[in-house]
Amino acid sequence: MSLTMTPLAAFFVLSAIGAAAALLVPAERNPPVLSAFGAASSAALLFAGAAGLLSGSSPSLTYWHFLPLGALRLGLDPLSSLLVLLTGAIGFPVSIFSGTYLLRYREEYDLGYFGLLYHLFLAAIVFVLVARDVFSFLVAWEAMSVLAYLLVTYENDKSDAAHAGFVMLAMSEAGMILAAGALLLLANGAGSIDFTAIRAAAPHLNPGIRWAVFLLSFAGFAVKAGLVPVNSWLPLAHPVAPTNVSALLSAVMVNLGIYGIVLVNLSLMPLHGTAPGALVLAVGSLSALIGILYATIESELKRLLAHSTIENMGIVTAALGAAMIFLAAGEKLPAALALLAAFYHLTNHSLYKALLFTGTGAAQTGSGTRDLDRMGGLIHRMPMTAIFFLAGVMAIAALPPFNGFVSEWLTLQSILRSTLLASKPLRLLFALSGALLALTAGLAMTCFVKVFAMGFLGLPRSDEAAGAVEAPRAMRSAMALLTAACLLLGILPTYAIPLLDHVVKELGGSSATGALVQPFFLVGPSGGQGLSAQFVRDFHAIGAQVGKGLLPGRGLVILLRGAAQNPVVFAISPTYGVIAFPILLGLTFVVFRLATRGRRVARRAVWVGGLGRLVPALTYTASGFANPVRVVFRAVLRPTVTEHVTEEVSEVFRPMVRREQIETHVVDRFLLGPAASGLRRLAGLLRRMHSGSVNLYASYVLLTLLLAFAIWAGSH
Amino acid sequence: MTRWVWEGLKSGIRTTRYPAREEQTPGVSPGRPAARSGEEARRNAAAGVCPTDAIRASANGSVVDHRHCIHCFRCVRSDSSAVDWQAGFEWAGETEPERMARRLGRLFRRSLNIRFVDAGACGACMGEVRQIDNPYYNIHRLGFFLTPTPRNADILLVAGPVTRAMRHALRETYEAMPPPKRVVAMGVCALSGGIFGPSAAAGGGVSDVVPVDVMIPGCPPPPLAILHGLLVAVERKPPQPLTSLAEGSAP
Amino acid sequence: MDETSNTALNGPTAFAELCRETWQESVRVEREGITERLHCARDRLAALCEWLVTACEHVFVTLIVEEEGAEWRLTYVFHPPTGGIFAEVVLRFPVSEKHVPSIASTIPAADGHEREAADLFGLIFDGHPRLGAFILHDGWPAHALPMRRGFDIARPLSRRRTGDPAEPSRGLDAPGAFAMPIGPVFSDLAEAAHFRIETLGEDASRIALRFFYKYRAVEKLAEGQPVSRVQLLAERFSGAAAFAHGLAFCQAIEEIAHVTIPPRASVLRAILAELERMRSHAATITGICNSTALAVATSQAAMIEEDLLRLSAVLSGHRYFFGMLKPGGLALDIPDPACREAATRADAIARRLSRLSRLLRQSSSFLDRLEEVGATSDAAALLLGLVGPVARASAVARDIRILFPYAAYAETPPEVPTEPQGDGYARLRVFFREAEESARLIARLAADIPPGPVFLPEVSPRAGTAVGAVEAPLGAAFHFVRLDAGGRVLRYRITTPSFANWPGFQFAAEEFAFQDFPIILATFGLSNAECDR
Repeated sequence: MSLTMTPLAAFFVLSAIGAAAALLVPAERNPPVLSAFGAASSAALLFAGAAGLLSGSSPSLTYWHFLPLGALRLGLDPLSSLLVLLTGAIGFPVSIFSGTYLLRYREEYDLGYFGLLYHLFLAAIVFVLVARDVFSFLVAWEAMSVLAYLLVTYENDKSDAAHAGFVMLAMSEAGMILAAGALLLLANGAGSIDFTAIRAAAPHLNPGIRWAVFLLSFAGFAVKAGLVPVNSWLPLAHPVAPTNVSALLSAVMVNLGIYGIVLVNLSLMPLHGTAPGALVLAVGSLSALIGILYATIESELKRLLAHSTIENMGIVTAALGAAMIFLAAGEKLPAALALLAAFYHLTNHSLYKALLFTGTGAAQTGSGTRDLDRMGGLIHRMPMTAIFFLAGVMAIAALPPFNGFVSEWLTLQSILRSTLLASKPLRLLFALSGALLALTAGLAMTCFVKVFAMGFLGLPRSDEAAGAVEAPRAMRSAMALLTAACLLLGILPTYAIPLLDHVVKELGGSSATGALVQPFFLVGPSGGQGLSAQFVRDFHAIGAQVGKGLLPGRGLVILLRGAAQNPVVFAISPTYGVIAFPILLGLTFVVFRLATRGRRVARRAVWVGGLGRLVPALTYTASGFANPVRVVFRAVLRPTVTEHVTEEVSEVFRPMVRREQIETHVVDRFLLGPAASGLRRLAGLLRRMHSGSVNLYASYVLLTLLLAFAIWAGSH
Repeated sequence: MTRWVWEGLKSGIRTTRYPAREEQTPGVSPGRPAARSGEEARRNAAAGVCPTDAIRASANGSVVDHRHCIHCFRCVRSDSSAVDWQAGFEWAGETEPERMARRLGRLFRRSLNIRFVDAGACGACMGEVRQIDNPYYNIHRLGFFLTPTPRNADILLVAGPVTRAMRHALRETYEAMPPPKRVVAMGVCALSGGIFGPSAAAGGGVSDVVPVDVMIPGCPPPPLAILHGLLVAVERKPPQPLTSLAEGSAP
Repeated sequence: MDETSNTALNGPTAFAELCRETWQESVRVEREGITERLHCARDRLAALCEWLVTACEHVFVTLIVEEEGAEWRLTYVFHPPTGGIFAEVVLRFPVSEKHVPSIASTIPAADGHEREAADLFGLIFDGHPRLGAFILHDGWPAHALPMRRGFDIARPLSRRRTGDPAEPSRGLDAPGAFAMPIGPVFSDLAEAAHFRIETLGEDASRIALRFFYKYRAVEKLAEGQPVSRVQLLAERFSGAAAFAHGLAFCQAIEEIAHVTIPPRASVLRAILAELERMRSHAATITGICNSTALAVATSQAAMIEEDLLRLSAVLSGHRYFFGMLKPGGLALDIPDPACREAATRADAIARRLSRLSRLLRQSSSFLDRLEEVGATSDAAALLLGLVGPVARASAVARDIRILFPYAAYAETPPEVPTEPQGDGYARLRVFFREAEESARLIARLAADIPPGPVFLPEVSPRAGTAVGAVEAPLGAAFHFVRLDAGGRVLRYRITTPSFANWPGFQFAAEEFAFQDFPIILATFGLSNAECDR
């Protein structure tokens, strides 16, 4: 047993004990027990993942010789190590959070049942990640899907939970069938279910099969990743699920969709041509835009976050697609950059999405509502929650000094590398995707300004919000941990990049660290490290080596050079930004105070046109804030407005109009809606065949026989 | 659009030269009553033809309190007049000239912002105050600007007797203004309540609610009188007395 | 609609006949002057009013509530579409009783009147969906009923603010809907009024109004006062239409006193009334140009307005004709040459107006902002009881100068322009055309001014009632006056065009872009001082 496998084993043991304990301890002791075992097993995962990433080795062990299929194996490679690490990093705070969050279910629901599902769910996720053969992978995947369904429908007496669970399970199973098809095609080609054997045989598969594998796996795993057009389950499942489950779904389980896509298309089977990458890039960019569009117009906080998960998975997928194109085009360094961006963003999304979900849970616990239109002013009643939530909002809106900024910057930078590609259509595609992603970033800003402003600032728009209380300590500490992680990844990217580079090297065959994180403080005036002498001179001339002896690390600067024909250098240092911006702000403040010395600051009530008092009904709501977006994208959103007059004095005199606006998701409208009604029609046709008449059935048999005979005759 | 430019240019400069020169175009001001001396005037004043008691008898003639004169013309159009009718429009006066502390200071003499509040004015004061922004009077040339927010305002210009519903709004507007600030009340309603107040529905003028610095009498004060009042507020014109006394009376 | 009315209704006696035929004993008809009075019981009120409006096509004018000793006296005033007479439905019941059936559901024009009576008298109109929070704001003590006999208006009430501000009734109920508050202190130079633009964010859906910030209780102040004092109130509660309202009051007093004013006074009154109409319309046009930020046009229109103000001052001594009217005639004679000179100047100004109108018509950017903005259909205008230029822009050709000719309008009738579209541009055209028509009227009137005195030396009215009807610049104004035996005012009820037309604004301002709000507001040209009283 290696350094990696021991903590992994510890995790499974702890999970098993946790699951057993959940069934044994009395209900009121359940949340703390779940919290303790969840945190402990997650800590084990942190060890396992970190060891796997740092060691760089890929240990594996055979756990069962299942005779008809051969050896079933478990193991860790850098990619699965990263995801195991992430699972631990999310599982730990979420478990702490659950300890107090679950208390709300004490009266009505069986907490032991929840604890059992919770531990099994985490175990299934990790099992998927460590599975090294098709059989183990698929079994664990199925277990994970079913457990997720059971967790989402935990509040089983609610009809919307049942509906959301049904959609989720149906889509998940459909995806599972497609993904299984892909994996079985690979296994069939290799004659073995073992990943190593598949990896060896895959390059020799014929192009048709490889296309089939790509399409099946992409479509199948896209369901879990929540990519357009198979994203419908996400915004349905999140609002009905308990918030800690939402956090695990959005911050952990969707990652496995990306894991599946990468596993099949980059790890098991080498790339063939740029076309698959182009498809992935296009789907990713579209998902990002559509995701954020629906997030922006949403007022239910958890559904909003679910749409935003679609967006972030879209960004990850777009970066992945870019990497696949670069790899296929033989551009190894840009490919490494793009892969790095994808995994950085994946990591970041997990962290800040978990933070936002725990923040939502805290806000809901404190104020009793998740509807942004009914929140408002929570910063006064729940200041700590507000600060943590603000950190999450800044991170997801890609604002420095938080992590989202770094990974979105890297993603857009890697998309800009398209100048290296020879193909014009591909460059056009990159340009379009870049534009979509830039629009996405802008909308994300709108969306999360709305979330924070409408949720936490202004006046409380309901009695619940007005009477909010600060979240309990366990919730705050969970949020504090996640905030710290978001901040560290935001200000110390030069430490994170080499870690992620292990994964990138494995998949892309090239290291991005060398290109991105250069110790240029140490570079002598003659150049080196791939930097031209001229550039180094210029950099030194503007004082880049000031403090060389004092500043730590590898320079803490991310540096991105353009190619020979585009020799622009993009450099950024969130680390120094964190030092420089406060100093600049402080200086500005000091200068301003000095310039306006002697002026008194008077505080007065907000000016409302002499109305006397500002009431919440007169302040912007979340829906109102987002309405310009709704109006601009009316062509996409196509709202159906129903209006009825509730009190009518005469036909021209309408004192009160009640208006409801329903936006059917564009995917549902164009794809799932027609597909569902098509299936229903087909079922109707089939039913018509079953008239119950014996003669008719006899004629079916006869027809089939004749047809079979004709085929047989034709083939001979 | 060039048509509009041409149209504007063709009109030429119509703006009054006031305060640099006198403005005597007929119709710019209705004029107002002035006290008259003599026993006959004293007797007529005592007879009480004035419905608002703006005209009263003094020791040696009549006295006119411009804060109450509502321009009903009954004094001059009756057979036994107690007053003279006086042209002109420089009517504004200060309430407490000695209160230097409330003055705006030199900084505001060239440019400042005015927030107007309608505290129950009839349309006439509204009509006149709208004229000050128009080519004939053009307050911008004197450095006065109207502002929609009290946060930027230096002068609060108020018309109307301050109705019950506007009392709080007026107070709030005043409080929303940063110091230093001055309050200019225009029109007899704003000075004394006019014929509407004080009553249960309307107050006895602006000074009931916020401290008034400059008063512009008139019902309504014509645009030039408003201009004069604003100039008084920034000390570019000397204030005029708010009551007219017969010659030889002790002030 | 004149054609459609039954000719049998034109003669007052025929109307009385028809009324008796239809209602038998349940309605008692009685005639006084040009008024048919229909007395009915409370349970018949709604049906009778509905019959008047639907079967007889009568126009609702006003509701006059009076407290006579131990009895309420409610008078619902109507007139036939052809004018000439008034039909009053009179309802009496003990003061202890507070409930009256509401007629607003069939006659939306009565909505505001019922709400006003509920606020000021404490009456409860059964079936009315939203009483309260109309005229009296939160500054008033909870149970103050200022129009009741026992209420002493001269005694200032406590200045303490009571409770939270009353919220205007909302008109939009949708998830995430909110309201943008505007006023009472807003814009550069706006009258005190409070608007709430109800919206879901980008476009405005509806507007909720909170008015009567300028309620000065003019009707209550008049009670118990001599006519000469009330004359001051009539002129000054709405200074922008001082002459029209002063005239309506004088006409009511003259009718009670049974006097006919000298012909010279009639003609001069008409000249001054038209001059005031021109000036008021010029002000409205200034406002419309200003609302679309058309600087040169705004300046031109404002200069026209100021020129008319100066002309008014030259003629009457006062820019707004204050002090010009008195019961029995005018306080001041205007010599014929001055009138002719005024007519010449008015004509020159009218030509400048035509020129401005032509230039505006050629400015597509200006028209874009007015056309199809704030449209009111003719059906809506009729139902809501809109009056004046606003109604005429929706093809409702009613004008008090034609329906109830006063001053010199019987001999010199005006041409009444109408436009069919009912949008902002139609209203602008009506304002222009009416102003030009006023100049023509002034010229016709000034050409032949009869000689003689301009006032009757002695007008001493005694007990009686009368309605003075005038076409004020913004539309029909009705001043109802009841005098006691000593010639003091017992009840003074002012029905103003702004009060009648605000619901029209609220109706026209549905589903519009935010930036159209000031434009729709300006094209209605309404006055809060006139509405709030």
